[in-house]
Amino acid sequence: MSDGSVYRTTRREFIRSAGLATLGVAAGGLSLPSLARAAPKIALVGWTFRPDMVQAYIDMFNQKYAEDVDYSTLPWPTFHPTLEQRFFAGDIVDVMYCTHNNRQRWFERGMIRNLEDLEGFEEIKSAMLPAALSSLTSKDGKHVIALPYYSAYFIMMYNDPMLKQAGFEKPGAGWDEIIEQCVKLKKDGISEYPMLPNWNPTQTGTNPQFLSDCFAEGVALFDDANKLQADQDGVAHVMERWQKMYELELVTPEIFTQASSTDTHRMMFTGKYAFHSNHCNYLQDTATDEKQSQLAGKKARITPYPGKTGDTYAWTDSYVLNAKTEALDSAWKLMRFLGANLNSDWHVQKEWAISSGVQNPYPSFYEDPAVIASTDTWVDPEILKQQAAKGKVINAFKEAWYPEYDTKVVPIMHDMIRKKATVPDTIKAMTDLYSSLA
Amino acid sequence: MAEIAQRDRTRAPLRAGAKGSGGLARRFHLYANSQGGFATLLILPALTVIFAVVFFPLIYSIWLSFAEVDLLDTSGPSLDFLGVTLPLYKFVGLANYRELAGDPLYWDALWRTVYFVAAFVIEATVIGLAMALVLNTEFFGRPLLRAALLIPWSMSRVVVGLLWLGMLSSDFGALNAVMHRLGLIDGYIAFFKNGFSALNTLVLVYVWNQAPFATVLFLAGLQSIPKDLYAAAEVDGAGFWRKLWHVTLPSLRPMMFLVLVLSTVNGFLMLDLIFVMTFGGPGNDTTTVSWLGYRTAFSFFQFGPGTAILFTLTLMCVVLTVVYQRLILAKFQAE
Repeated sequence: MSDGSVYRTTRREFIRSAGLATLGVAAGGLSLPSLARAAPKIALVGWTFRPDMVQAYIDMFNQKYAEDVDYSTLPWPTFHPTLEQRFFAGDIVDVMYCTHNNRQRWFERGMIRNLEDLEGFEEIKSAMLPAALSSLTSKDGKHVIALPYYSAYFIMMYNDPMLKQAGFEKPGAGWDEIIEQCVKLKKDGISEYPMLPNWNPTQTGTNPQFLSDCFAEGVALFDDANKLQADQDGVAHVMERWQKMYELELVTPEIFTQASSTDTHRMMFTGKYAFHSNHCNYLQDTATDEKQSQLAGKKARITPYPGKTGDTYAWTDSYVLNAKTEALDSAWKLMRFLGANLNSDWHVQKEWAISSGVQNPYPSFYEDPAVIASTDTWVDPEILKQQAAKGKVINAFKEAWYPEYDTKVVPIMHDMIRKKATVPDTIKAMTDLYSSLA
Repeated sequence: MAEIAQRDRTRAPLRAGAKGSGGLARRFHLYANSQGGFATLLILPALTVIFAVVFFPLIYSIWLSFAEVDLLDTSGPSLDFLGVTLPLYKFVGLANYRELAGDPLYWDALWRTVYFVAAFVIEATVIGLAMALVLNTEFFGRPLLRAALLIPWSMSRVVVGLLWLGMLSSDFGALNAVMHRLGLIDGYIAFFKNGFSALNTLVLVYVWNQAPFATVLFLAGLQSIPKDLYAAAEVDGAGFWRKLWHVTLPSLRPMMFLVLVLSTVNGFLMLDLIFVMTFGGPGNDTTTVSWLGYRTAFSFFQFGPGTAILFTLTLMCVVLTVVYQRLILAKFQAE
């Protein structure tokens, strides 16, 4: 290294090599997008639920329609923020899953596009339940902005052998009778915590459960203008019942820290609970999964949701189309395959229903012999159909303030259930929260 | 002298070439051929990477804490770099921090965090030190135990959370089952029943996960203490406690400082166990500042207030590090 000439030569070589390498990388980087543009793929990103099944649908779609779909998943908790950041960084995901309470936000900011000008849309629209169509429509009612991934509503499930063991032939007809049954089950030592409501702390837990119980009492928590109407007798009545159920120790205290609705429904697998309310999509697992569920073999059954009207909360999560997609025709074709009837036989929707018990908002689906035969193996299809018809939607989720309200109201409800706050104070806290956000 | 002469030779043509055409290229050429210039060129890629992955995100996130951030609003000013657009968002000064100061949820979360960190740091340090003292003595199976000790620490925290969630479950938890069979409890315990129990359960799980790391650090420190010191203490008639107090602990001060700083930072930033085990509940009873910041940013999409919340944690970590330095390390250096 003391010889200057050798040192200089090495340095020059290094600089030359580094320059060439940089040019090479730059050239490669420039050439890749142009190559990609020559044969565009359709990017589909979903949250991680049964990716094996989705991949099978994609394989079939690719084969039958000569398309090239690149399917990937993101974890549920960071799904929407991640896709927003990718969009803002210029990455175009052609087709994405989207929950109902993020759709409007994405639409307003130009991230997704409306669908009504696309081929075959009118046929899809006419096949769908009006309530679901309304749910998929923008807040101003002018644009349909998504196709259904699935529809769901709350159901009341019960542990048939446990009720029979306690001497009950069937579940109680209303809440009072059901609570009486739970008290007896606890007193007789048959179940330590007979009631398993979906009071988990996530967006799919406590608040939708509360909306369901309010609907079942004939009370709408949000009016037509999406304004919170917490100061109603029916709302207070539901809160008082929840406090009573908890005070009587009918509900496990660990319900407040369950990580998801999925974890909550898996508690029902243990066979230790008599009644469970949750999303209808979890019923099939509980009633048929012999590897995990103690209630497999149709020991888990459903009963019409208790309450004055028996209505429950329903919602539709969806597939949405990126507003900047460069492969509009192919992406729309994929959306119709996944969320409608491109294959003429409701292939994807039917497969979801048969293999996972996932419901959708197309009424003809409930008349399909294959779906009926499959449903009959795990539950009474007639009760399921009746409960589906009693699913009620809200439109408040289209408001910009809703996601924050939806999250912040959960601790308020949990404090109320545990009697850390009175019912009037809780109603005031909910109203104050709404007023601070809306 | 030779170096000075070399530098002068380099500077002279550099000044001369600055005025002529192609001056910049010539200056670069000369600079690149100087020893300092060549060294700079060599470390430039590393510096670029460090700037890109450490300093730039830090500066940008500080900026976000003073801004009103809307991820989907790209209408404002932005920076364009290599095809990536970086929105600068609307500067709102201290508004996010002021909002924070008036939020009772934040203050509740802060006191909860302080409790969590204090309990965690004390338990992890004491248990870590105790385990290190045991593992520093000769006994059969010591190498195996030392290796096994690292397992809890090397596990992903999400896995740790799921593992303990399963063990603590009041439905099917192994811990409940064992205690029940041993006749220690009548019915299964719900560990997440209320705030106090849930928060302390989180502390214990985190200690289980992190104490082995403290053990490893203390063990390294123990092995650097000269044996002569213990021999001299024994000659003076010192027993175990006096040796611990007068020889071991003073010698471990640098390691104690490291353990306390790392435990404090880890305690303040702990998020994953809450995510997996309690989701901040029941109610808000396990909502710490880090969870509040995460939820504000990623559930409410309020990245301005979210980063502001998390930067208050950074500030606390810095302040406590200085306090530890003054209390422990400075005294050691003085000695």
